[in-house]
Amino acid sequence: ASHALPELNWRLATSVPPTIEFYEGAVTFAEEVERMTDGKFKIRVFAGGELVPAFGVFDAVSDGTVEMGHTASYYYFGKNEAYALDTTVPFGMNYRQFQAWWNYGNGKTLIQDLFAKANIVPFPAGNTGVQMGGWFNKEVKSVADLDGLKMRIGGMGGKIIQKLGVVPQSVPGADIYPSLEKGTIDAAEWIGPHDDMKLGFNQVASYYYTPGWWEAGPNLSVYINKEKFDALPVEYQAIVEAAATRANVDMMSSYDAKNPVALKKLISTGTKLRAFPRDVLEAAYAAAQETYAELRESNPDFKLIYDDMVKFQKDQNLWAGVAEGRQDAFMQSISR
Amino acid sequence: MLMFQALLAYSKVVDAINERVGTTVKWLILGSVLVSAGNATSRYALGMASNAWLELQWYFFAAVYMLGAAYTLKRNEHVRIDLVSSRLTARTRNWIDAGGMLIFVMPTTLYICLESIPNFWESVLNQEVSQNAGGLIRWPLRILVPIGFGLLFLQAGSEFIKRVAFLRGEGEDVLESGGHPDMDMDDDEISEETK
Amino acid sequence: MEAFLQANLAPVMFGTLIFFLLSGFPVAFSLAANGILFGLIGIELGLLDFVLLQALPERVYGLLQNDTLLAIPFFTFMGILLQRSGMAEDLLESAGQLFGPLPGGLGYAVILVGALLAATTGVVAASVISMGLISLPVMMRYGFNNGVAAGLLTSAGSLAQVIPPSLVLIVLADVLGVSVGDAYRGALVPSFLMVGLLLAYVAFLSITKPHLVPALPPEARTMRGWTLVKSILVSMVPPVLLIFLVLGTIFIGWATPTEGGAMGAMGALILAFVRRRLSKETLRGALDTTTKLATFVMFILVGSTIFALTFRAINGDIWIEHLFSLVPGGETGFMIFVSVLVFVLGFFIDFFEIAFILMPLIGPVAENMGINMVWFLVLVGMNMAISFLTPPFGFALFYLRSVAPKKGYVDKITGRKVPGMSTTQIYKGVLPFICIQVLSMILIFIFPEWVTGPEVVINEADLENISFDMGPDDDGGLGGFGLPGDAGDSGGEIKLPGFE
Ligand code: NA
Ligand code: NA
Repeated sequence: ASHALPELNWRLATSVPPTIEFYEGAVTFAEEVERMTDGKFKIRVFAGGELVPAFGVFDAVSDGTVEMGHTASYYYFGKNEAYALDTTVPFGMNYRQFQAWWNYGNGKTLIQDLFAKANIVPFPAGNTGVQMGGWFNKEVKSVADLDGLKMRIGGMGGKIIQKLGVVPQSVPGADIYPSLEKGTIDAAEWIGPHDDMKLGFNQVASYYYTPGWWEAGPNLSVYINKEKFDALPVEYQAIVEAAATRANVDMMSSYDAKNPVALKKLISTGTKLRAFPRDVLEAAYAAAQETYAELRESNPDFKLIYDDMVKFQKDQNLWAGVAEGRQDAFMQSISR
Repeated sequence: MLMFQALLAYSKVVDAINERVGTTVKWLILGSVLVSAGNATSRYALGMASNAWLELQWYFFAAVYMLGAAYTLKRNEHVRIDLVSSRLTARTRNWIDAGGMLIFVMPTTLYICLESIPNFWESVLNQEVSQNAGGLIRWPLRILVPIGFGLLFLQAGSEFIKRVAFLRGEGEDVLESGGHPDMDMDDDEISEETK
Repeated sequence: MEAFLQANLAPVMFGTLIFFLLSGFPVAFSLAANGILFGLIGIELGLLDFVLLQALPERVYGLLQNDTLLAIPFFTFMGILLQRSGMAEDLLESAGQLFGPLPGGLGYAVILVGALLAATTGVVAASVISMGLISLPVMMRYGFNNGVAAGLLTSAGSLAQVIPPSLVLIVLADVLGVSVGDAYRGALVPSFLMVGLLLAYVAFLSITKPHLVPALPPEARTMRGWTLVKSILVSMVPPVLLIFLVLGTIFIGWATPTEGGAMGAMGALILAFVRRRLSKETLRGALDTTTKLATFVMFILVGSTIFALTFRAINGDIWIEHLFSLVPGGETGFMIFVSVLVFVLGFFIDFFEIAFILMPLIGPVAENMGINMVWFLVLVGMNMAISFLTPPFGFALFYLRSVAPKKGYVDKITGRKVPGMSTTQIYKGVLPFICIQVLSMILIFIFPEWVTGPEVVINEADLENISFDMGPDDDGGLGGFGLPGDAGDSGGEIKLPGFE
């Protein structure tokens, strides 16, 4: 560059404690930015609650309290349902599909335009992959078994599974484990084998269900305050985006490497793996469509982005079923 | 002089407001207990439960301590470490308290009060709701911050005036009273130890 | 001066906080004032931007959403109702009657009641306050030594930290990456150890210094034989019912641990009503006291959150991290240093702050040293319990102070004047109890297997042969990136609707 690049010290607030694997996404991002700017642009990462509350990252970046955040946009679903589309919605896209939509579909434009209204520039910076369906103390053999089932599940997944008769319960964090143990609630969902094992749910629940259809590849985002981002030198803007991309790939790889090992350990301690029966998935899918129909009516932002996403996703699934899916299915069948 | 009389009048009004607020919000403790026990029972016995009711219990509690903070200050029930201060004279203690209220508590509470209003207002405009299925609308929770800190600001002012009044010899030592509502107090009796 | 401050602002901030606290200004506002003052100094020194203080309202709002803290009003309200309706006194009195000629009887009762309360909640404030409200008047009435009473109540109340279920254990488990179940199991033996040592100490006192822990006086031991049995049975009904409501409803899955507190409070309301002791005045008074106690506890948290924002913004946590790099002595040196640090920090800041500021820094260090994390967690938890009852700043002491009468009063039952409890008495009284807690910590330090149990080894070779069987609904063919596949069939034409 012909001009001298500035020395910067920024703060980045995350929504999780360092023990949750996706905190590492924020760390990777910050380290990459520092490395690529030869130490000129330093970013300090703060765990959830250290500077701002876990779910206050959006507001803090929006009003400039911190320059950056690393969070999941669907936490801010209560402000505008369309924000969830930056993370995932039930039966939404998987990791690879989301990247395709972001990079070569309209994803990036639509999402960044939406967030610009809140003075935030988001970039994908991590993904957990398809999550697990959670820990159950009752077997789910059909939709009927869900009736009256008390489950700790938040967000849109909770709203949709409610239509299948499940009673979503927002249990205080500290109460989840004992409540599941004593049967006050029948089920609780978290992330996937690697993160779930740390919480010890396998010690109080028998069945580990798959898949977490409400989180088929949740995207985690780096947020940058828009005014501050626009004021950055173009080199730094490019570096921020590149570092986010690196964190995005890195986190998915990390989960892919760690989850199978963790799942084996869980099973070795007696966890029974179970698949949601097809009628449950179909009923949930139908319930999700109802919800989307309502949201498309009530929220123009949601309609605009959701319609684009669904159209893109449909082709993705058709194509994946032809090559990737068949190849994967065969390889999976001989690996078991 | 007239000026100070006006301040004392202000202090009386603020005290009366916060006394009324405090004695009203305390009933929300009962509300919180009833709602929480009700939630557990209805879930267990009837299999019925809702996130709105689960959230209501802590809305109630949040209201109690945000709105009750000024009342608690008025009653001088915010806990203090009296290890050293109990050995100071009443005048010194009142000086410290007056200074603290004026220099620290008033600006801090005013700042948080004012700074939280935009957050509240945005929440109203967005119709911000809980992330939980069937959860509650959020602005009634958010508005507790500006109101609670606003009341605290007013009360800190009143406490400042009362300390100054004592230092001018025009009021009682509020720091002496206040204390332990659950014990049968005999103010004439002085602890054998401290005599 | 400016350069000195820039380099040493965190330690200076710490020192100033001590000064503020000692000035006798309310703890909550001292913490907040210190946060704001050093925020402004930090801005002046260019260490942070004013804009960061915008986080304050959001942090307060975050606190409002913390539903776990509901245990505080529930247990406080239950304790106050039990006390105001006289039911707790009845229980402690009949426990006293039961232990009869035994000196220290009330002490045993307090420890056992404390352990029971601890087993229902992880909130020290709620435990100490409700136990203080319940037991203190009875102990003072019958001439229990003030210092011993203070030590018993605060240490029995601090058990709430360690006896599962416990908020402290949950938060630490979360931050240190240990399973909550392991943390609970690991804390079991230490819990029994602490309770056992406390009971043993009371027994020791009753032999060596019986005048400190007097038995009920003969005139108070009015009941004998069948009358005593009956009175015990009758007075046991309410507490047994309440224990069922608090613990039993959790155990059978009726209530979550938080709701268990509300169940207990409901039960206390109903019992007081049935026994015709629930006047409108009693209810009003109980609500009023609960409001003031719960508010001052919550506002200590509000103050802490303001303090912690600035402390972190001026890189106080980096200062702490730096201190660690200077520690000699390997694993033992590290553990001793951590213990001292947690102990000292526990004077000033709430355990949330310790957990969230300190643990992320030292957890990885401990893990890298090969220290068993469950053992580490339990030691940290026990350590915090000790620091909470250590003068002059231990939080449990504030809580006790807030419910203990400073001045003497005339007891309603005996009509005698009871001298008040001075702060010095509280401070001196807890010292032997701190020694007991330190002893139990040393024992756990020496015998880690009491926490960890026999080590469960997962055989890596066994993991190789684990099958991912997904039960009866496992349709066998998973489709990777697409539709459920049919790999393994004979191939041929692919029929995918919509993709012609
Ligand atoms: Na999940
Ligand atoms: Na406990």
